[in-house]
Amino acid sequence: MSEYVLELRGITKKFPGVKALDNVHFKLKAGEIHALMGENGAGKSTFIKVITGVHAPNEGEMFLYGEKVQFANPKDAQNKGIAAIYQHVTNYPDLSVTENIFMGHEKVHKTTKRLRWKEMHAEAKAILQDLGSSIDPKTEMGSLSVAQQQIVEIAKAISTKAKIIIMDEPTAALTARESEELYKITERLRDQGASIIFISHRFEDMYRLASQVTVFRDSRYIGSWGVNEITNDQLIVAMVGREITQVYPHKKNKAGEKLLEVKNLGKMGYYADISFTLNKGEILGLTGLVGAGRTEVCQSLFGITTYDNGEVYLKGQKIRVRNPKEAMNLGIGYLPEDRQLQGLVLDWGIGRNITLPALKDLSSKGWLNEKKEASLAKKLAEKVNVKANSIFDLVSSLSGGNQQKVAVAKLLTADLEIIILDEPTKGVDVGAKSAIYEIINNLAAQGYGIIMISSEMPEILGMSDRIVVMREGRITKVIDKKEATQEVILEAAMSEIKEQVV
Amino acid sequence: MEQRTALDKQGYIQRNLLDKKDFSLKGFFLQWEWMLVIILIAVMMINASLSPYFLNYASLRDGTMIFMDKAYIVFPMAMIMILRDIDISVGSTVALSSVVMATMYNSLGVPMELAVVICLAVGALCGFINGLLIVKFKELSAVIVTLGTMILYRGIAYVILEDQASGNFPEWFGFFGWGYVFGIPFILILFIIMAILFGFLLHKTTFGREVFAMGKNPTASRFSGVKVDKIKIIVFTLAGLMAGLTALFLASRMGSTRPNVATMYELDVIAMAALGGVSTAGGKGRIIGTVIAVFIIGYLQYGLGLINIPAQTLLIIVGILLILAVAVPKIKLPAFVKRK
Amino acid sequence: MPENVIQNSAQLQSPVKKTSKLANIYKFRELGLLAFIVILSLAVQLRNPSFLSGENINDMITNTAILSILALGMMLVLVTRGIDLSIGSTIAFSGMIAAQAVSANQNLNPFVVILMGIVIGMACGAVNGILIAKVGLLPIIATLAMMNIYRGVTFKISGGEWISSYQMPESFVSIATGKTFGLNNLIVIAIVIYLLFYYLINHTRTGRQIYAVGSNPDSAKVSGIKEGRILLLVYTIMGGFAGLSGVLWVSKFASAQGDTASGYELTVIAACILGGVSIAGGSGKISGIILGSVLLGILNNALPLLNVSPFWQTGIQGLIILVAVIINTLVKRGVDRNNLMRRKI
Repeated sequence: MSEYVLELRGITKKFPGVKALDNVHFKLKAGEIHALMGENGAGKSTFIKVITGVHAPNEGEMFLYGEKVQFANPKDAQNKGIAAIYQHVTNYPDLSVTENIFMGHEKVHKTTKRLRWKEMHAEAKAILQDLGSSIDPKTEMGSLSVAQQQIVEIAKAISTKAKIIIMDEPTAALTARESEELYKITERLRDQGASIIFISHRFEDMYRLASQVTVFRDSRYIGSWGVNEITNDQLIVAMVGREITQVYPHKKNKAGEKLLEVKNLGKMGYYADISFTLNKGEILGLTGLVGAGRTEVCQSLFGITTYDNGEVYLKGQKIRVRNPKEAMNLGIGYLPEDRQLQGLVLDWGIGRNITLPALKDLSSKGWLNEKKEASLAKKLAEKVNVKANSIFDLVSSLSGGNQQKVAVAKLLTADLEIIILDEPTKGVDVGAKSAIYEIINNLAAQGYGIIMISSEMPEILGMSDRIVVMREGRITKVIDKKEATQEVILEAAMSEIKEQVV
Repeated sequence: MEQRTALDKQGYIQRNLLDKKDFSLKGFFLQWEWMLVIILIAVMMINASLSPYFLNYASLRDGTMIFMDKAYIVFPMAMIMILRDIDISVGSTVALSSVVMATMYNSLGVPMELAVVICLAVGALCGFINGLLIVKFKELSAVIVTLGTMILYRGIAYVILEDQASGNFPEWFGFFGWGYVFGIPFILILFIIMAILFGFLLHKTTFGREVFAMGKNPTASRFSGVKVDKIKIIVFTLAGLMAGLTALFLASRMGSTRPNVATMYELDVIAMAALGGVSTAGGKGRIIGTVIAVFIIGYLQYGLGLINIPAQTLLIIVGILLILAVAVPKIKLPAFVKRK
Repeated sequence: MPENVIQNSAQLQSPVKKTSKLANIYKFRELGLLAFIVILSLAVQLRNPSFLSGENINDMITNTAILSILALGMMLVLVTRGIDLSIGSTIAFSGMIAAQAVSANQNLNPFVVILMGIVIGMACGAVNGILIAKVGLLPIIATLAMMNIYRGVTFKISGGEWISSYQMPESFVSIATGKTFGLNNLIVIAIVIYLLFYYLINHTRTGRQIYAVGSNPDSAKVSGIKEGRILLLVYTIMGGFAGLSGVLWVSKFASAQGDTASGYELTVIAACILGGVSIAGGSGKISGIILGSVLLGILNNALPLLNVSPFWQTGIQGLIILVAVIINTLVKRGVDRNNLMRRKI
């Protein structure tokens, strides 16, 4: 038997037009927690799908306990004891917890094929209790919290008797305390003999759990180290490919008079008591864990959702935005987090995408002036430096970074004063990232007030003039650039347990 | 060109993006509409060979008058399908608005001119209610909402007129269904005017552009400041309004109306739109295609009627046509039938 | 600021207690429906004492039997996020063929006729299923087209003629009027189907996979469920029920016409919606279907007894569908809102 329970060699996976994985390697030892790290778009998710049999690789070999294997479908992988807990919880909200756990490997009577509910309920209950959870297995999945659903997913992995468990960013939507629960469960699984691949963005996850870390970048294998062998800085270099300090452009903006003031904003179930100000020419970083309510606050400011209480003042004037059009007329623009779903019409050309918010200005009495439209689209696309041949090129054919530039160009059509950017560099490669930072900085220098939501610590630290930290729907800290360090922000974002002790 | 590629290699360069499309002859002839023209010619030829009476002006003209009434609804239906929705209540809307008009005139003594306006207003109101329900209850699909109103509107028509027919319209009212202007049926002239109006609305205005954007990506449209609810309500109201117009023509041509008129009009209309190249997946479609499709289905039905093929067979044929129209683009065929 | 933090932590997690609020709402829904049925029955009884007579009740139950069989099939279709508008035509089609068969061959065994009806219906349903699952048409478009085609074919094979009771042998008519174990045959058939169906959807893998596909098609794929096959199965079952109902229908009303059961699909969908089947897919229960069908059955029976003009019935049915879906939506919104309120910030 080999030393490794799972080994992948030279895996390449191509999709039409893209190489999602390019000759990557991976070795998993028995009973270890192995962190797999890399930026968005580094190929981690595709890699997981290769291991679990969702995608078949174009090249390369996979060895399980030293034996060469090939999976035709997810079922094959499951039968060999591999289970995955995906980033987006993939379950059946209308079905019971038990069914979610046993879907695909139900217990049935040998001859009649009748489902053995009693046994399944009992086993589900036993597994959940073993995980320290008292969820009733007959509950409907959809009525559980995200953290509870995560636990059910783990229970599902256990119920398949999986020896290799893959967790794809399981902590992304969890609070600090919920994450801690998850860490404990993960360690327990390891102690019981499972080998775990833990994918995460968060360094704290890695330091807390893993003994080995492998890094992918731009669909390639970069290296694998023991957690003790590599420093934080080295790891960042491995992930982003260059010194992090180089990425941020020299700042030339200056904060001016007060532009926006938010007072005690609240929305039931999402956020409460949100107060902050934004000045002209300022970049205000808004950070916190995913699910802290950052996006919800900004979407309320932009009129996508409403708020229940509180007030918003624009240049001293009280405003109440009811829909995005009103927000844009008032000079507030929003760059959504999910480009593909919220930002762009993917199978439209660049030009049509850019002019969509500005059709009114490009028309007289409703008649569209296509000449005017084309020239505006051309001007803005060139301004943000989109790499393409013509403004008719489909947005779906562009890279993530260039798509994001198109989305930014859309904002520039309107006469804005405030620009809200929600994770502006998510899924964007390193080169395009600095181009986007350059654009943001230029905007600030021109006097726009900018709110930038980001989960990436270096980005927040490198770009913001002031930083607002949110946790579980509330602002926990507002930090000036000079005092901001990674530690201060992290503490504000997730330190509830410490605070309680104090 | 060469210069640009050379500069590319050096990295940051202000690019020159093309903002004009080259005219491509191949692209021009690769449009679905040409396929439709071929089908239309084939239908005409088959009809002509089956019936010696088909290919003369009077016959074509009369044929047009018979199928043209429902054709008005095709335009807003195309918009609704571009929005990824569907409206199966239009047949009932036609029935309800014509019944209200006839009752107003015959039982309540409302002048016919006013009754005509009321007919259009009732149609628009029905459409507006559909739109409002769909927008206010986003959890429900347009299928369920219009299924409900389809039964409801028809039901109200039955409540008003029970199983009676109502007619005795003034003579001038017959002009809608049977009138000519310069020897051309009025119904055809108005159809062409409507086609031009809707063509401009859908392809040349901001409103039309926003409809297409919503069909392709409703969420992104909303984030881009498109007033998605308002547009949806307007489009459904237009469908109701056109159904009201259809009611006028239908009542005029038949000389009377009853609650069970225009049953299953929605099927014909949806079939016409789908055949015309409007995708049921949303975001795609052109008015010119639907216009040709109207004539294809209309003349097909008329021609088959001429050779005494019973109405029931026409049901089957329209059904098969609808399935072919939506299924063909899903099956991989040679490039020339691929829709643009 | 710090006091907020402390307050939060104290309130933070009470995840365990969150259980089965949703389940309660559904139970409440069914109880509500039941209460409504009882109140409605009493009210009608007060206005017209013949309502709760044995004969009328029997009549109501036999009427409801066919409706509820169809509603079971439609529930599965709705659970997979589909819709089937063609069942009225399928009923007419299989009923017409059955009637023609028995009128041509008076000695045909009733069981053979029933079997024939089921097979014809399943074939019709399978065509729908193939168009939807394999060709990838929208269910509404595919079944709308097939509705016309089946209806047209029915007219064609009948040549526009009716087949009425005197052409049908006694054995055939007694399918719907005869009794087994002292119960009307229709009721017995309905009960047998209920039991089989209950077993299918609650105790077999396939049954649960139907719900899984409706609840989350994407994860169903990852779990290795073959969505296409499930959809095909669901539409075939629906067709089979419609075919069976066609035979029962013709036997009960002792006449087969081209426009038999025209528009009946809407009544069936209404029964499902009243019974709480979610149009968004994934949920629907047999108990709800029974209550929904019974309620519609009572309404259809009671309106004439209350001297409501038959012309009102269509309108009332449309109103019921709309009101029921809107109430469903509002209840669901209320639940979501409650869930949010419990999320302390």
